[in-house]
Amino acid sequence: MIRFDNVGLRYGSGPEILRDVTFHVLPGSFHFLTGPSGAGKTTLLRLLFMSLKPSRGLIFVFGENVGKLSTAARSSLRRRIGIVFQDFRLLDHLTTWENVALPLRVTGKRESDYREDVTDLLRWVGLGDRMNAYPEILSGGEKQRAAIARAVIGRPELLLADEPTGNVDPAIGNRLLRLFVELNRLGTSVIIATHDYALMEQLDAPRLVLYDGHLQISRAP
Amino acid sequence: MTLLSDIKDYPWKSLLIGLLPVRLAALLPARFQTRAAQIVPSASIAGNALTVVIAIMSFLACLTLGAVYMINQSANAWVNDISSEITVELSPINTPDIDKKMTLVALFLAKQKGITEVKPLTAEDSASLLEPWLGQTTALQALPIPRLIAVEIDRSDPPDIQSIKTALSENFEGVTLDDHRRWQAEIRTLTRSAALGGLAVLGLVAAATIAVIVSATRSAMASNREIIEVLHFVGANERFISREFERHFLGLGVRAGLMGAFAAALAFLLLPTMMDMLGGGIVTAAEAQRLVGSGELDLKGYLLCVLVVIVVASLCMVTSRLGVIRVLKNYA
Repeated sequence: MIRFDNVGLRYGSGPEILRDVTFHVLPGSFHFLTGPSGAGKTTLLRLLFMSLKPSRGLIFVFGENVGKLSTAARSSLRRRIGIVFQDFRLLDHLTTWENVALPLRVTGKRESDYREDVTDLLRWVGLGDRMNAYPEILSGGEKQRAAIARAVIGRPELLLADEPTGNVDPAIGNRLLRLFVELNRLGTSVIIATHDYALMEQLDAPRLVLYDGHLQISRAP
Repeated sequence: MTLLSDIKDYPWKSLLIGLLPVRLAALLPARFQTRAAQIVPSASIAGNALTVVIAIMSFLACLTLGAVYMINQSANAWVNDISSEITVELSPINTPDIDKKMTLVALFLAKQKGITEVKPLTAEDSASLLEPWLGQTTALQALPIPRLIAVEIDRSDPPDIQSIKTALSENFEGVTLDDHRRWQAEIRTLTRSAALGGLAVLGLVAAATIAVIVSATRSAMASNREIIEVLHFVGANERFISREFERHFLGLGVRAGLMGAFAAALAFLLLPTMMDMLGGGIVTAAEAQRLVGSGELDLKGYLLCVLVVIVVASLCMVTSRLGVIRVLKNYA
């Protein structure tokens, strides 16, 4: 599904942030991506999401060489990927419901076809009474859940999440993890970037550990 | 097929809603209503100033097109008038009895095939033709004013002008025939020049409109960069994103185009009155009328204003779409 071969990345003429990163993500797998702050977790996620181009090496997403993708093909691949950003990236002028429905709206689907799905998912993540609220009045945890709901509404084949439980209490965090696990059982590959060891300990999943720009893969202790 | 599906899939309903003021849009039937909020907020697109600029461009385009149309109509009318008429001129010099000569020439002309009417003009008629330039003066009687014979020809079966010309010069001294061809050629040159001038003005207006829209599109994209990034992240393609921008610009183009066309239509409606007020006397008014006709635009002329609205709106839409797609190429 995802293949990185000796990928390196540097910004401009600065030092390499990532060096010789090589790994595979198989369909239906679950990975944690961890490492100290500044190790390059978010950068790696951006490479996975094709919003950055590697300085060297090859990246294959769903079997396609990212370096040779047209803009249209990249958009098409992105529809198969859900992403949750650390800073949520919700649109302030749209309601929570409209934000969550956005990935379906951009595919050209009719609103009547997905109205129920969006409403059900928002209830499931505990935002049933905040559907018509605008992001600026949501708490950090509520924004986080809305961002997760937006990432998973399109039943992506690959879910990328950057610190998805960073702003929620442990109970909600566990609930969100259950949502990720449930999606994974339905066939979605999941990569969660996190510092949260308590979260990682709840699941026996391989860990992609970034340190000093290098990537190591380890099993749960 | 792509173009057809593009047209079929276009969000026409939301476009219609976007064009109308909120209160008016709310009155539309339920099937035209949409709950979907605008992904790119209207407020983030350059608003009133840009509308005024595009409205002025439309106004200038309508005025130019209307003026060229009016001149063309007047020129056609002149050409039609004079192409069915020829003029025979008799020089009074060395002619002791000019009236007798007039009668002979008129009789000669009346016998020719293809001539339907021969009308000799009196000395007073000739003098009155010179009045706009020389004024009413008794001195005209002392001048050797040429006498004229107006000849109507059958346009479906025209006479052989060249043979009549030759016959006249052989039989009558000091008689010339003017078939107005030089005058017609000059009128055609004038109308072509006016049309080319109008085309140049329209080209400049179009270029200025495109430049303004390109600049506004870039500015709108810069202020909505975060929205564009989110749209990319959720898998929106270039077509979707460009539509979100272009429908704002199409709405703006329609509104501004209508404003400009309405102002131009008003100007054309008031033109005859203004020509009367600013004419500066009967003679100048008459000359102006000869140049641009009565100053009134007919239905076809007003339809040209509608065409300007359509072209301006399309220009806004297409320019913004191409501008957005071009900028999107630089996004990751």
